[in-house]
Amino acid sequence: MNRKSVARAALAILPFLLALAVDLLLFADRRDRLPDRLASHFVGNGRADDYAGRTSYLVVTTLVLLGTGLLWAVMAWTGKFTDRAYRTTVAFGYAVAGFLGYLLAVVLLINVDAPEDAQGRGQDVSFPMGHMAVALAVGAAAYGIGLLAAALGPVPEPAEDAGPGEKGERIELRAGEVAGWGRGADSWWLPLTGLLVLGGGVVLLFTATWPAALPALVLGLLVLSFARPYVTVDRRGITVSGLLPRPRIRVPLDRIEGASSREISPLTEYGGWGYRVRPGRTGVMIRSGEGIVARLASGRDFAVTVDDAATGAALLNTLIDQRRTDH
Amino acid sequence: MLFRVDPTSTVPLGDQIAACVRRAVADGAAAPGERLPAARALAESLGVNVHTVLRGYQRLREEGLIELRRGRGAAIADGASPHRARLLERIRETVGEARGLGLTSDELLALVRTEYGAG
Repeated sequence: MNRKSVARAALAILPFLLALAVDLLLFADRRDRLPDRLASHFVGNGRADDYAGRTSYLVVTTLVLLGTGLLWAVMAWTGKFTDRAYRTTVAFGYAVAGFLGYLLAVVLLINVDAPEDAQGRGQDVSFPMGHMAVALAVGAAAYGIGLLAAALGPVPEPAEDAGPGEKGERIELRAGEVAGWGRGADSWWLPLTGLLVLGGGVVLLFTATWPAALPALVLGLLVLSFARPYVTVDRRGITVSGLLPRPRIRVPLDRIEGASSREISPLTEYGGWGYRVRPGRTGVMIRSGEGIVARLASGRDFAVTVDDAATGAALLNTLIDQRRTDH
Repeated sequence: MLFRVDPTSTVPLGDQIAACVRRAVADGAAAPGERLPAARALAESLGVNVHTVLRGYQRLREEGLIELRRGRGAAIADGASPHRARLLERIRETVGEARGLGLTSDELLALVRTEYGAG
């Protein structure tokens, strides 16, 4: 069983290592023909507006590919994905590796033989936007290869639990009694992230054009509206609400089959924190630790990390029982 | 925090909501600083009027169990302890029994003062 887990992790990290190897080999092969400072960042028309030293190109390329690769390896190893979700997850990793590996290689190749200015910056380097389309195509092709590799490789063991809910805890309610459960899910990083993104948007508003600033401003406000999330379980389902009535995240009760509370690892199961959509599961990951996991009628899981999750899950199961007997 | 109300009960809904919070503090399920749902959200959850919830919250504030902060909603007060919540529950019971016996509030308070004086 453990050997299989390692094999799955290796399969997941493989495309990132391949992409890294290709980029490093290209660099080693052309290093004498590269300017001291590579054009590394490009604006809308493909012109370069920022430069990076050759060492920092190597460091960034290695960190980006190894970092994302390790993330996928950890997800494949301990992410508790079911068969189909596992294959999609691995394949998505292949797509990301193909996309990133291709773009990083292009940045290298367009700098080859570029004349240097006084500061050693590569001149007349432009990034034809067609490469973006090719990168997406490479990603799509890698996705297919990933699906195939995951299907041929070791598949995960069937999930231990047949689905939460059936044997889960209940809360005794008297006839006619109405119940609701709620809990704040505060964290230090949500307000901070919201402020940082919004601040970035304001800076862009003054230094760049407003179309560039708009996404950061909207995202910053969105995150700030969820600065102090509140999780509710009631006759309408499970809801994560922010400071305002909207936006909110709600899964209606009639789409939920059962619920349980357990320890959740956001990094390995959801690939990080925040609102995460992964093959077979959606999660609101505010911190590591205890949370409510609801199994939906569609077969997907919806999870939210919150204290006293056992009570929330028990009430959810009770309300689902009530719904079933009412019909 | 778990809220449960019975609309068919003779106990006013606002009192039932207050009792849930008192119970949670007495059990230690809710500690100082924990946020209560926004009154409007709780009203929608339980299918009751928002004023009913506010009446319950107001009552809890008078008992010193919660703090109502403008714009920041309701939270369990720093001074709220399980002991205090249990005392409040017992006072409710005592007042209920006194009513049943036909005592006025002055008569009950006189009895409480006598007890204090004896201690």
